[in-house]
Amino acid sequence: MGFTATVGGRSVDCAEDQPVLDAFLRAGIWMPNSCNQGTCGTCKLRVVSGEVDHRSSPADTLTDDERAAGLALACQARLRSDAVVESTGAVGGRATHPLRDLTATVLEVADIARDTRRVRLGLPEPLAFDPGQYIELTVPGTDLRRQYSLANTADEDKVLELHVRLVSGGAATEGWLFDGLAVGDRIEVTGPLGDFVLPAAEEDDGGPMVLIGGGTGLAPLLGLVRTALARHPQREVLLYHGVRGAEDLYDLDLLAELAEVHPGFTFVPVLSHEPAPDGTGYRTGLPTDLFVDDVASARGWSGWLCGPPAMVEAGVKAFKRRRLAPRMIHREKFTPADALG
Amino acid sequence: MTTTSEKPATPDLAWLDDITMTELERNPYKVYERLRAEAPLAYVPVLGSYVASNAEICREIATSPDFEGVITPAGGRTFGHPAIIGVNGDIHADLRGMVEPALQPVEVDSYVEDLVRPIARRYLEQFENDGHADLVSQYCEPVSVRSLGDLLGLHDVDSDTLRDWFAKLNRSFTNAAMTEDGEFANPEGFVEGDQAKAEIQAAVDPLIDKWIAEPDETSAISRWLHDGMPPGQTRDREYIYPTIYVYLLGAMQEPGHGMGSTLVGLFGEPDQMEQVVDDPALIPRALSEGMRWTSPIWSGTARISTGPVTVAGIDLPANTPVILSYGSANHDTGLYDAPTRFDFHRPPLPHLAFGAGTHACAGIYYANHVMRIGLEELFESIPNLERDTSSDVDFWGWGFRGPTSLPVTWEV
Ligand code: HEM
Ligand code: FES
Repeated sequence: MGFTATVGGRSVDCAEDQPVLDAFLRAGIWMPNSCNQGTCGTCKLRVVSGEVDHRSSPADTLTDDERAAGLALACQARLRSDAVVESTGAVGGRATHPLRDLTATVLEVADIARDTRRVRLGLPEPLAFDPGQYIELTVPGTDLRRQYSLANTADEDKVLELHVRLVSGGAATEGWLFDGLAVGDRIEVTGPLGDFVLPAAEEDDGGPMVLIGGGTGLAPLLGLVRTALARHPQREVLLYHGVRGAEDLYDLDLLAELAEVHPGFTFVPVLSHEPAPDGTGYRTGLPTDLFVDDVASARGWSGWLCGPPAMVEAGVKAFKRRRLAPRMIHREKFTPADALG
Repeated sequence: MTTTSEKPATPDLAWLDDITMTELERNPYKVYERLRAEAPLAYVPVLGSYVASNAEICREIATSPDFEGVITPAGGRTFGHPAIIGVNGDIHADLRGMVEPALQPVEVDSYVEDLVRPIARRYLEQFENDGHADLVSQYCEPVSVRSLGDLLGLHDVDSDTLRDWFAKLNRSFTNAAMTEDGEFANPEGFVEGDQAKAEIQAAVDPLIDKWIAEPDETSAISRWLHDGMPPGQTRDREYIYPTIYVYLLGAMQEPGHGMGSTLVGLFGEPDQMEQVVDDPALIPRALSEGMRWTSPIWSGTARISTGPVTVAGIDLPANTPVILSYGSANHDTGLYDAPTRFDFHRPPLPHLAFGAGTHACAGIYYANHVMRIGLEELFESIPNLERDTSSDVDFWGWGFRGPTSLPVTWEV
């Protein structure tokens, strides 16, 4: 007989006399390991629940204190019950805002650009979130859920702002948000979700930032930029908004105002499919290419990307080319709703 | 009707006589592939020794109660006695007890970040804006030797000297060719090792004099002198020098080899390189595959039978040395699909790059962290590295193996 060992949501069978490490490796699940004889400590893991037998784990490698604290050597330990383990290398995630289900009320639906709507949702009670996070909306009468980033700062916690782009044939947009959605409608909302967030305020050193948004991928960047500038009003922030044509741009006034108050903030609207109308100062091309032209070195910067997958991929490459540390590259990993419909 | 012989034909092993050291040092894989297939435990004349070349036999011998540690003849000629890799019983236990405190995981965790990260940063600062570098001589080796040099208390020995020492000790230690009469085939090959040892003693003797009088808790060698000794007494310097040489060769050189080989492997698989650069959490996994792919201590240690013993169907008399070719064992097709390919997504089976049994590497935890921090800082500082493909990467070594240089370029 045997037990089940689980790590990061993946479970494997572990025979009674089988080292936990062996069970994971055989199932193709990587765990750090080196000596496989209990002497190097590389395979140390934390037993979150369940019971293990440490067998011949040497006291030098796994001290009594560590045993008491729930650590084990995966290459030695056998299971005495089903167990959940986690790697000790994992950085303790900072406290996250609890995920909640709320019923919101539509307060405003406004057409703000070509095929683009701003939707404001009133909440029955404040929702704690970090700027840059997203929520899920349930399409009424279906099981369909769609993810939309919040354009808000953390103090805008009673009225959530979403930017929605029409996708032809899309069940959520053409079938609902662009069709009959009206002020007063009720919407089921789940959130906050996602890790596209600034460092905690006390760890934010005010370093330069570059943000690139494609289409309605601008939404979370507005929350991030406003928060970052509120923390460090003088910081250098470069925001590119990539769209097809001038008609797709929005929130130009808000961004112009922000640039006026914060001399370090630069907003760059970029059109990919048409020349810039005279006198506008808009740029043409791809925002990720313009960044490479504009910035000689982005060492010490942080980088933020939200938009279609191809844009995000090009952004990662552009950032690395300008030597922005990969650790400091943040990308919204959900596929934006306008790529799904 | 034709008849075949009853017994499966024993492969004709005459080709073993033709193996040369030069060929093994340039590229041992071809010879060892054949050894694994035809004679995974075989007497190789040029080495004057039995050689174990597949994973099962290497592991069996390394962990067998019928074998104990022994230093290869060229290794013994280079290091002298008692080197930790060639002694057993109480002396081995004392030497392990001497080196292990600084290498215990809990201890390593307490110092390794503060030790290695600033060193890695310092070397990067010297070339990160140049747009080109040789990562072996400008980064992997310096980070490796400076970290261990500082840990040992050799702050005043510059990194180039430490690199020069390990290279000389390496060539001397692996000057393994033997004549039919069991003599060293190239005795002059030990001269540079002797020179290095003379330089080492000239530099380290005064430090030992100082540490005997004033123990320095922050120097590992100072602690080797004092730890576990009755008050007022220290370990004899002649007793610890051979193990100092073990450190100044393998422990200095191998984290550099490990980083270098892993980088070459990653450059050969651009998708994997991109994944690792984008997600530094994958670095330990890439390093583990790098160690398997080109094992730094490729064929550096040996065991000797303590009595008559049968291994893999071969009867060995007492006192038969067997060289453990871990670098070959880590290419065993019985364990790894397409072992010559670098692929850190392959099923993560354990490898033998750090050896096994009572003589397994004492520095695994430390070495893994040095290499991890080294690659983290490198990719953080230069995420747009590209291999300079105007020439191929050369690997060298049979006893110890790694890339001899790794030219790279990047946009600045
Ligand atoms: C990636 C780097 C390294 C690799 C691949 C490596 C690999 C090895 C291997 C294969 C052995 C022989 C094991 C056997 O015969 O079964 C060994 C022995 C040893 N290693 Fe390492 N090593 C590395 C780095 C280090 C470092 C940095 C230190 C010390 C700080 C160290 C300390 C030792 C010691 C003391 C021994 C002798 C153990 C004994 O005979 O009891 N190693 N190493
Ligand atoms: S792998 Fe070395 S202690 Fe488990």
